Amino acid sequence: MALKLDPRTKLFMIFIVSAVVMMSATTPLLWAVRITMTMIPILLLIAEKHYAAALRFIVLYSAALLISFKFLSENSKGFLSAFLVGYCSIIVQFMPAVITAWYVVRTTKIGEFVSAMQKMHVPDGITISLAVVMRFFPTIKEEYSSIRDAMKMRGIMFGGGNVTDVVEYRMIPLLFSCVNIGDELSAAAVTRGLGGKVKRTSVQELKMGGADYMLILMFTAALVFFVVFKYMK
Amino acid sequence: MDNNKLGAKDFITIGIFTALLFVVEFACGILGFIHPYIVASYVIMIPIVGSVPMMLFYTKIEKFGMLSIMSVLLAIIMFVTGMGYLGAPLIIAAGVIADLIAKSGGYKSFKKTVLSHGVFCLWICANYFPVIVTADSYRKNLVDGGYSTEYCDNLFRAINSKTIAVLLILCFIFGIIGAFIGKAVVKKHFEKAGIV
Amino acid sequence: MTDTIVEIKNVTHKYKGAAGNTLDGVSLSIKRGETLLLCGASGSGKTSVIRLINGLIPHYYQGTMTGEVTVNGLDISKTQLYELAGVVGTVFQNPRSQFFSVDTDGEIVFGPENIGLSPEEIRSRKEEIVGQMNLDKLLDRSLFELSGGEKQRIACASVAALLPEIILLDEPSSNLDMDSMKMLHDIVREWKRQGKTVIVSEHRLWYLKDLADRVICMENGAIVREWTGREFADLSGTETKNFKLRPVNINEHYLALLSEKEKEGSIDQHFSDGIRLKDFYFSYHRKPYILRKREFTAADVDSLSLCIPELDIPKGKVTAVIGSNGTGKSTFLRCLCGLENDCTGVIASDGKEYRKKHRIGFSYMVMQDVNHQLFTDSVEKEVLLSMKDKDVNRCHEILNTLGLLEFKDKHPMALSGGQKQRVAIASAIAAGAELLLFDEPTSGLDYAHMEKVGELLHGLAESGGTVLVSTHDPEFVEECCDCTLRIKNGRVVSFEESR
Repeated sequence: MALKLDPRTKLFMIFIVSAVVMMSATTPLLWAVRITMTMIPILLLIAEKHYAAALRFIVLYSAALLISFKFLSENSKGFLSAFLVGYCSIIVQFMPAVITAWYVVRTTKIGEFVSAMQKMHVPDGITISLAVVMRFFPTIKEEYSSIRDAMKMRGIMFGGGNVTDVVEYRMIPLLFSCVNIGDELSAAAVTRGLGGKVKRTSVQELKMGGADYMLILMFTAALVFFVVFKYMK
Repeated sequence: MDNNKLGAKDFITIGIFTALLFVVEFACGILGFIHPYIVASYVIMIPIVGSVPMMLFYTKIEKFGMLSIMSVLLAIIMFVTGMGYLGAPLIIAAGVIADLIAKSGGYKSFKKTVLSHGVFCLWICANYFPVIVTADSYRKNLVDGGYSTEYCDNLFRAINSKTIAVLLILCFIFGIIGAFIGKAVVKKHFEKAGIV
Repeated sequence: MTDTIVEIKNVTHKYKGAAGNTLDGVSLSIKRGETLLLCGASGSGKTSVIRLINGLIPHYYQGTMTGEVTVNGLDISKTQLYELAGVVGTVFQNPRSQFFSVDTDGEIVFGPENIGLSPEEIRSRKEEIVGQMNLDKLLDRSLFELSGGEKQRIACASVAALLPEIILLDEPSSNLDMDSMKMLHDIVREWKRQGKTVIVSEHRLWYLKDLADRVICMENGAIVREWTGREFADLSGTETKNFKLRPVNINEHYLALLSEKEKEGSIDQHFSDGIRLKDFYFSYHRKPYILRKREFTAADVDSLSLCIPELDIPKGKVTAVIGSNGTGKSTFLRCLCGLENDCTGVIASDGKEYRKKHRIGFSYMVMQDVNHQLFTDSVEKEVLLSMKDKDVNRCHEILNTLGLLEFKDKHPMALSGGQKQRVAIASAIAAGAELLLFDEPTSGLDYAHMEKVGELLHGLAESGGTVLVSTHDPEFVEECCDCTLRIKNGRVVSFEESR
């Protein structure tokens, strides 16, 4: 049984996690809170059967944690270790946000997301544009892979060593395709009533369940805990 | 029909170009993993590479709001992809001001478009906000923990609260330069092909 | 209620920036419940008539227009597009560009959501449509992973969910294989049975001959001929040819050949001079290997998407590669021209062997969407880009044989579809490829253009090239292919010489 969360809860999670990653943990207690918060989206990923992603995140996160703790405890200098520690601490710092974002993006349907935004009274113009953005990411990927194929066949993958050509050969056909698709898409969308004066509705029913409230509570508590222990002690 | 209001077609155009711009940002972002200094060079790469779709986008703008909505979308995407929301006010302010500048030129004046693009590019600096905020507190923690200031400065030399002003200015300048490049490319391809 | 549902009165229309009129004094009235087929060459004005009825002209495409259009009692020029949404529905040509959502469910309910119906109403409509059109299997899928035919089915469902009185289809079968066309035929039949007014603009005519009540033929923006459904169904090949139309009646042999029901044929190859393909194995479902990619061999037979141990392709001939969508035609072509690095196949010709990356130089594929293949800002540069020695004279020679010399300074994207295709072919010739592959070059083309592509391919074959062309068009195979190679589940199941 997959755990179905309300998209609003998911957005709230990102909000909290993004706030927490801005504050560095200084005591073991805060580290514990931070790591717990990171584990929640990983567990949610597992609950939604994204095992590979969950595994990858766990490995990466724990490796980064381990390295940054180990090296930070010895007063190591030198280019390589500074570099490594720099990397790992950045990963440790921002990974929770990345994991949460990954979880949200992978498990939320665009319909749900748009419907959540409607519920939050975001204007139609913004929700429509945002839906188009989401629809266009895979389109760009598809178009780009065809263009790469064509470039391979022409033997111009590296544009004859010319950097501007490398960018131009990729970007120009992509823009032409996207503009064309956009024109046809607009025509198809307006004939199906997009842009009318009536308020759009949505079939996606959003309902906050027990799990939603629990998560919101947990994340709020974590944030409060973090702020209190870091700044008020 | 109300001609000053944005229609479905405009929203779709905004969506497409926001997606394209974000893809440019993302492609440059991947390069940033190679070395942190490359992260600092976003202010050069993104305005220039991104200028091609942006200048094409400018040719399609006729009404107020398209740039503003684009900046709101960028802020939302940045938020959802876990890049923080501290930059949101900067992104949206840059978008709205750029929109106003372009509007004052009736969306046709090239001079105003160049200026507008320069301002719009300031949104890129929002990428640095979370790093700056965390870097400063992180640095403090390190120094408190007995590390030499020199070591820490090395770690965060390129990006900190002092360099942000420089980065903002660079963004603007390369936004202006980018506008000229983008315009040239649009002329070379899209005008010649009769698309715009 | 009146008997006439669409009334077009003496409409003349010109697109903004266009040289001439797209429509020239067109008058047409369509009865409620009628199934009307619009045919005619590319640029004859079929699509513009469709756009008149759905209001895209004058509300979306700018231009100048005189005359009147009334649809279901509404004066189009005074009706906003969104008010027409529940009256007229349109299925467009390109399955890739007309969907708005990312998932199938969202797409079906897109229209009803736009017009602000209540969620309960939308859900019940969706259920009804899904039941009617048998879409259960397509629900809850990403639109990006569907085939062209499946996407087109969803597009039809999305239009039907608005319950329009009038349904327009603008060259809906352009990108479809035979099975999908059959499906499309059944959808139109169902709409006809429900009493909807259906108007189809098409180049491929044979699949609609039993459904059309009336057929209108257009030329240069005017209606030049009208047939009743029965007259139309009996039109001979010479008659359709006179109107520059694709045939209505196609040799049964080719229809059977291209539809999946064909019993398994045999592989008889009676030629001596051929290009030999060896060990073409490939799979998209490769298990990940940690250190090294494993090469595919015949031993993986069960998991392979492409399995061709050995095959000869006749030199100097045009060979059609047929088979339904998703059965491995494209994979075959992609492996052949070296786009799939993991495919280990070897091409042997004239005692030389080409493997891996060298296959790219030896073969060249002209893609279905040629827009992806054009990179530069002039036709001349485009061809020179393919040449190692940048020989301008040879470039002009090639352009001349393809009738493109006059366009040499134009931007490739400013050309028409057929011309773009020829630019891509010119690049292929310039690259010195001996084996030329074409991925569905005739989809969406009218009769004259299809014939021209056929002539071109023959010309390439006669001048020593070897041409492989994947296609779904029985009329094209009949017209201009020397041999047919049939692929099923990534295996060659038959090879025959047609003439």
